Order: sequence, then structure tokens, then C-alpha cells
Amino acid sequence: MPHAVGDTFTLVKECDRYRPIYYAAASGDFNPIHLDPEIAKLAGLGAPILHGLCTYGWATECFLNYLGDPGKVKKLKVRFSRPVAIEDTITFTGKVTAIANGVVTAEMTATNQRGETVLKGVVAEGSV
Amino acid sequence: MPINEAMVGRQYGPFTYVVGLEKMREFAFAVGGTIPSTGFMSAGAPGGMHPWLHDLEAGAKSPYGSIVAMPNFAVVFAAAPFGAACGDPDLGIDLVMLVHGEQELEWFGPIKPNDTMKTVGTISEIYSKGDKAFLIVTSQTTNQRNELVVKGRWTAVIRG
Repeated sequence: MPHAVGDTFTLVKECDRYRPIYYAAASGDFNPIHLDPEIAKLAGLGAPILHGLCTYGWATECFLNYLGDPGKVKKLKVRFSRPVAIEDTITFTGKVTAIANGVVTAEMTATNQRGETVLKGVVAEGSV
Repeated sequence: MPINEAMVGRQYGPFTYVVGLEKMREFAFAVGGTIPSTGFMSAGAPGGMHPWLHDLEAGAKSPYGSIVAMPNFAVVFAAAPFGAACGDPDLGIDLVMLVHGEQELEWFGPIKPNDTMKTVGTISEIYSKGDKAFLIVTSQTTNQRNELVVKGRWTAVIRG
């Protein structure tokens, strides 16, 4: 699939009730702030939050779908600016900003159903 | 809560991890949106998931000759030094007050079944800003052929 500057791509993911449990099981990250309502309250989070690295995985998935090849994802950098809560729906968008020396660079956004940004400074790089 | 800045430069690892095929697929399923199981109660692959991440036949015909892991599967093994630093008694971090601040991964090759990964990491920065402390760990993972697979930069934020 040819890539061009200005290309856009998108992916919508829902944090269903059990997603933090599934991600904990798959990743090995059993920090109770993701799983235990009492510990999450104690930590001042109100309720369990999704692992930032699951949100990171969704951003990876969004970019790899655009590239069309999991092996072409070369770099992904994010800042976690707001927790993702259970029942949040996150919309990822990406836009290709440069293609040079065989590298596709894209800027991405991730926002919840209230329009709040959950990831900032998202930059992805892939090979052409 | 401030962290002892003298810990900058402390190294962790090597940590060895053997990549399992079903573990790779379970991880992809969990991120993709189904249940992380390829056996009992499996709901199969999420709709729209790239076939090279889970379909054995498609993987065998791919340029990689097998299925490959989601790139971010790397966190499963490459996080080991970061986890060790966060739990290091010499840093004394209250894990309940820790959140993940930033994440950067850079990939140099695919992650395939039965690869043996070796990860090392170093505390590269510790600093405070307001009532928050920041801990940054960098990691480097190589495979059984001593090829560089992934580099990581992991930032923890410890709240007041």
C-alpha cells in the first residue's frame, strides 16, 4: 500500500468492564490500581483505570493497521495525559506528516467520548 | 515524594524471557478486544486484527515465516528493568502513588515465537517537579542472535 504525506487513519476502541483484567493477564501487570476498586480509591483515582500501556497498544494497533505490516512499526512515543476509565471509548487518529529516507512519520491523537485528550505528544514512525 | 537522585546510573538485569507463541496471540487478543485465551473459552481473534498477528497459516506465508507479536508485546519483557527500579527498596517508591507518565519504544526487528530475549536497563534520570517525582529508565533488548530488538524509555510519575 503506497503512503503519502497527508494520509489520515483512525481507530475506535472501547474500554469494556473487563479490559483491565484481560490486559493484566496478558501483560503480567497486576498493579491493583487497575483491578481493585478499593485500592484505586485509596490511590485517589476513584475507580480502577486502564493500563496506560493498553492505550499505548491501541495506538500501536491504529498505526500498524495503516502501515499494513506489524513489522514496519519502528517507533512510538506517547505521554499519558489522562487516565482511561472503564466504559470510556477512545478515538485514535493519525496523520502522516513526513515521508523521508524510507521512514513514514505520523502524528496521532487519542481522545475520549467527552473530547478529552488521553495521550499527548504522540509521534509514530514506520518503514515504508 | 522525592526519590534519591544518587540512584541515577543504577543498572538492572539482564532479564531473560522466552517468547511463547500462544502468549503472543493472547496479548494481541487482549489489546485487540477479545479474551486473552486461544484455548479454554477463546473468543478467537478480534475483528479486523492483522492476520500475521494470530493466523498461523497467514504467518507462515508472510515475509517473517511465522506469526509475529504486536510490536508493543515488547513491554512484557522489556519492562523488567523499569519494574525492578520502581520496586527497588533503595528508591522507596509508594507503588500506589505511581502512574505511568510517558512511554517510548523503538523497534529494530520483529518478535517471533521461541525468541530468547535479554533485557538490560539503567536509571537514566530522577527529578522532581512540584509535588511530583519523575523516574526514567532506559532499556535495551537483544535476541538469541545478539540482534538488537527493542529500545525503551520508561517514565514513572510518583504523585505527592
